[in-house]
Amino acid sequence: MMGRLLWPAVLLAAYLVGAPKTPVYVGARACSTCHGARSMGSQYGLWLHSKHSQAWAVLAKPESRVIARLSGLRDVEPQQSVICLGCHATAAHTEEWEREPEFRIEDGVQCEACHGPGSEYMTESVMRDPEAARKAGLRMPGERECMKCHQEKGSHIAALQKPVFDLKQGLEAVKHPLPENPVPGPVPAAVPADGKAEGPRFAGSDACGACHRGPNRGYQYSIWRSSQHARAWAVLGTARGFEVAKEKGVAEPQTDPACLKCHAPAAVPARLASARVEEGVGCEACHGAGSEYLEDAIMRDRTAAAKAGLRQPTRKTCLGCHDGNKFQYDEAVKKIAHPTRTEAANGIAEPKYKNPLNLAIRPGGAELWVTCETGDTVAVIDLATREKTAEFHTGGAPTGVAFTPDGKRAFVTNRLDDTIAVIDAAGRKVLKTIPTGDEPHGVATDNQGRLLYVLNTSSDDIWVFDLAALERVKTLAAGRGPWAASLSPDGSALLVTNTFSHIRPLRSTLLSEVTQIETERGTVEDRLQVPGANLMMGIDWHPSGRFALATMNRTKNLVPMTRLLQGWTITNGLAVLWRTGEVDQVLLDEPDMGFADVTGIACTPDGRYALASSSGTDRIAVVDIQLLTGLIQRSSKYEREHVLPNHLGKPTEFIVKHIPTGRSPRGIVIAPDGKTAYVANCLDDNIGVIDLARLEPAGVIDLGGPKEVTKQRFGERVFHSAKVTFHRQFSCHSCHPDGHIDGVTYDIEADGIGVSPVDNRTLRGILDTAPFKWEGTNPSLSRQCGPRLSVFFTRLAPFTPEELSALDYYITTIPRPPNRYRAMNAPLTPAQRRGKEIFYRTTTNDGREIPVENRCSTCHPPPYYTDRQRHDVGTRHPLDRQGKFDVPHLNNIYDSAPYLHDGSAATLEEIWTIHNPDDRHGVTNDMTKDQLNDLIEYLKTL
Amino acid sequence: MRLASVFALAAGLGCILPWGSGGQAQTAAPAAAAQKLPYIYTHWRQFTTKDGLPNDHIFAVKADGPRVWIGTEGGLAMLDKRTGKIRSWTEKDGLPWRVITGIDVDKKTGDVWLALFGAGLARFSGGRFDHWHQMNSGLVNDVVYAVAVENDNVWAATTAGASRYNTVTKEWTVFTEKNAPMEEIWNYGVHYGDGKVHLAVWGSGILEYDVATGRWKDYLDPDGEMEIDLYRDDGIIHVITTGAGYVDKVLWVSSYFGASRYDGRHWRGFYNQDSGLPSDFINNIAVRSGNEAWFCTDKGLGAAVDVATNTWVAYTRDPKRNTGYAVVTRDKQVIETVETGLNIPHNYTISADINGNDVWIGTAKGLAWGIGKDYYPGLRERGVMTASARSASGGAR
Repeated sequence: MMGRLLWPAVLLAAYLVGAPKTPVYVGARACSTCHGARSMGSQYGLWLHSKHSQAWAVLAKPESRVIARLSGLRDVEPQQSVICLGCHATAAHTEEWEREPEFRIEDGVQCEACHGPGSEYMTESVMRDPEAARKAGLRMPGERECMKCHQEKGSHIAALQKPVFDLKQGLEAVKHPLPENPVPGPVPAAVPADGKAEGPRFAGSDACGACHRGPNRGYQYSIWRSSQHARAWAVLGTARGFEVAKEKGVAEPQTDPACLKCHAPAAVPARLASARVEEGVGCEACHGAGSEYLEDAIMRDRTAAAKAGLRQPTRKTCLGCHDGNKFQYDEAVKKIAHPTRTEAANGIAEPKYKNPLNLAIRPGGAELWVTCETGDTVAVIDLATREKTAEFHTGGAPTGVAFTPDGKRAFVTNRLDDTIAVIDAAGRKVLKTIPTGDEPHGVATDNQGRLLYVLNTSSDDIWVFDLAALERVKTLAAGRGPWAASLSPDGSALLVTNTFSHIRPLRSTLLSEVTQIETERGTVEDRLQVPGANLMMGIDWHPSGRFALATMNRTKNLVPMTRLLQGWTITNGLAVLWRTGEVDQVLLDEPDMGFADVTGIACTPDGRYALASSSGTDRIAVVDIQLLTGLIQRSSKYEREHVLPNHLGKPTEFIVKHIPTGRSPRGIVIAPDGKTAYVANCLDDNIGVIDLARLEPAGVIDLGGPKEVTKQRFGERVFHSAKVTFHRQFSCHSCHPDGHIDGVTYDIEADGIGVSPVDNRTLRGILDTAPFKWEGTNPSLSRQCGPRLSVFFTRLAPFTPEELSALDYYITTIPRPPNRYRAMNAPLTPAQRRGKEIFYRTTTNDGREIPVENRCSTCHPPPYYTDRQRHDVGTRHPLDRQGKFDVPHLNNIYDSAPYLHDGSAATLEEIWTIHNPDDRHGVTNDMTKDQLNDLIEYLKTL
Repeated sequence: MRLASVFALAAGLGCILPWGSGGQAQTAAPAAAAQKLPYIYTHWRQFTTKDGLPNDHIFAVKADGPRVWIGTEGGLAMLDKRTGKIRSWTEKDGLPWRVITGIDVDKKTGDVWLALFGAGLARFSGGRFDHWHQMNSGLVNDVVYAVAVENDNVWAATTAGASRYNTVTKEWTVFTEKNAPMEEIWNYGVHYGDGKVHLAVWGSGILEYDVATGRWKDYLDPDGEMEIDLYRDDGIIHVITTGAGYVDKVLWVSSYFGASRYDGRHWRGFYNQDSGLPSDFINNIAVRSGNEAWFCTDKGLGAAVDVATNTWVAYTRDPKRNTGYAVVTRDKQVIETVETGLNIPHNYTISADINGNDVWIGTAKGLAWGIGKDYYPGLRERGVMTASARSASGGAR
């Protein structure tokens, strides 16, 4: 081994155990010990001079935050996002133990990003034997590896306005050939550090960067790393560097004191071991050697810092190196400006809308509490004055709100944070936040104030808390996507809607569940089945206690979308859930006007009416309960099962009025006196007031959201509006609630009518995963949402260019929830760690090499875990017109069942236990059951 | 039901009174007017297909308050103690598989977990069956013998190891020879109590998993002899175990070669030859306390009721006379024999559960409910039970 005797942890462990080791990342600086010399083509310097070495630093730029936003990364620091770091750094997907202590993620895309982790091949003896090096993990990347990161990304094109990556040019820019007879050696030796040197010594910019980083410090370290200064030494090793040096009579510029004076001022004896000559013109070149002032306490005291040698550079400082005749001082200073506060630090300011979702009246009747999903707040409305009197932060994406029976405490679910906020209702103060299951949505208490029920819509369960102790006492299995709850008037039964249908066998009718909890024991008493229904959301008991009403869609996914003209794609209605356990269904659509996305429901205290909101058509339907129940009661069994759930003419028999609302009405609640209803106009940031005596709107209560309508906001409104569909039957939201999936397979005409149903795919973070559709035939979102939508889905004039542009923009910003199975930088569990080894394995259990094209990581490379190509993995069905399908990304894969192009795998396991008999979807049939379990545990972390 | 039990059943066993000859119960030895004697279950009810059970082979029984869940070879049944009515579920009702070999109830949620012989694991909750098997989940094998609920986890004893399913995180963990001291992976039984999960493993004795520490401990037969128990009371009597129960920090173990008890310090073995155990071939076990355990054998039911005095009560039936007997023994000596009328409907007993004062016994010919009116634990001074005393205590039905 040249230049580096030991990387102790790795080699010692290998010696002691004697077994093949998992390679770990050693960092480019370790590579430089052999690849730094000119006799090795100055490869380290060439890398340092390339954009690869700055890849991490550029994530601090303002445009990186724009890109992050367009990638569905809400309020995420790009330098903290594993998605961004996946291509802008090396080993971003590893655990700490997989990186040597000397490894620095700040070095961006390093040697090992392309050549693989180096601990096992880095010794000279291994490297001199190509086969041994390959076996030890050395990769010689081809163009395919480059394209894993350099494939066109919509987010980057939109933000940077740069042409598509030219691979040829890119390869030219990073080429680093070895000379004919390479002789390993370190970077050229500069003046050796003198430990006895007196006075201030250079500490190196990395030391400065320990504090001067991140948004609170204006990303100063990153700004320096992105500058020419950081490459000043490296440039000496380029062909141009040698050329200029030669002109000046210098043979070895990287060691020549005259060159180093300005290209690497730290190349002096007075430097600490941490100071690297290769860093070029570092912070201390202008601010003075830092050994005496770099301590935090000194830096916080300007006088002390100055006394310790901290300098404020001047024109003269710059002119010490820059040619006074050519040097434009003001421009240069501007170019390297690194203020503590930057535009990047402040972010790209986007108005923060409120998006009121659900509301509840605090016991006592004087206050209306409103959860504001994107505002991350709860707003409190004084019902007497109809004014907002308070608004306070509860957590990420608050959705549901409930009170103890005495109204003293409130509980708000924070869907983004997986917590519930316990609130002192009078003091408007969050007393405590308690962890919940995944994506808590609805919340309810019982009549005694004994138990609290939290509906975790992503983990499909209901956590039951003891209200006194605020501790989870049990977890109840829900249906799929528990959403909202309503307590029966006598308090004995809590009904919970589930927004997704159960996963059904291919070409089977949807089947949704309303979970009935018996509150005395806090156990599931019954599971009411609602055939043909999905997206069940709002629910409210009729005051008689005889039945409850729940909102629902009836998605006709088993017939081709061409049936839209017959009113047969998605219908919207109500489920009547009788106390006896019977279930009826009725529609709220009418032949010429759909009632798209029915989401909220509330019964008047006198039991006369039920009000249902349609977020797609901006209306409330007023249902006359007597007419509705009368219709049901005089219908035959056949009619109740087959006619009422489907007949568009029936709603006119019980809907007595439609009341217009603001944009996208969601939750609805009625005051205890029965005189007024309140509806959350989600995309207007206000609460609509309905006069129930006149059944007319009676004003709005403004929640104080931004008045400006941004492109994103406009797109959000387009997304949630059914205006674009024939007879307003559905909106984008109908199939992509919350920008995600409805868990349904559709028979879309484009794939051949009636022959090849395809699984719905999430919109979260999809911009950079083009092409779209399972067959990968749509190259862009605008194609997907433009002509294709109008031809195959909506059967109406397409979106206007303005609408389409805004819609596409909005879709790109739909936030991607944080991974529930692995927090950023959290270590993997043992099972996940074993699973990762399987994901990246190259040989089978019996030692056979797995062909590269059949390894998991080949088609599913990080950070999105898709190569964005089409592959045939043997899942073609006889009626599919071809077998190659777009590789889906795997981020948060756990929450998008079912799987495969046709949704035929109900669970991740089934992908391999059932649908991979010939090892075409990766080599998996040699795996033991525990190995498959481990693999799946790892997949969930991606 | 254990596999060997299935084979035995298929062979069609007769009913044998283990201590008598010619099917005649021995007369009790003369006893003092009052001596310390155990409680005897004299009031029994039987349930068969005639009463609505889907099948008479009762592989599993679990009482949950007034509901008694019954796993049979032909479906699931639930007996309501209050009404005596039975409701049943078969595959046409959504039950994923008809053969149910193990049942446990999550006391907190009321969910009923079912071990399906050859079809995995099922949860019956609010009328809905959820089904996990080796193709759609992380369950290690579909041949599941037993199931136990441990906090938020559900353990399944399968023929290829044990599986643990976390109902909150939805994570599956497989325990085999790779990560547990499991010399063989054929898991027969699983039990949770007092913070410990015990696996009864064919050929690997008893494996104890400490929930708090995540550590394993194995209990093997120290003498290593398969045929004989070379050294008495040195550990479990055989590594082929069928069940375990851990109550009052006492571990009870059943095997096809006898029973064992471990109080944390001392082991003790029980055999047909020196205890009231009707047979050494024990299919299953139900533990009431550190002092009382019930063993389901191929020749009747044996209840160890007082360890210190080696006092047992064995329950069996005489098929010729269509009646049943309870026989009290102490160190194998019969000290009381009580005709109870028909108690257990078949001497081939497969499963048992204890619920309050009552006991539930699954047999090869239906279910027995022992009603424990005035039950008392251990021994108490009473006279030897006479016919009139039996009648006063409820008698047989």
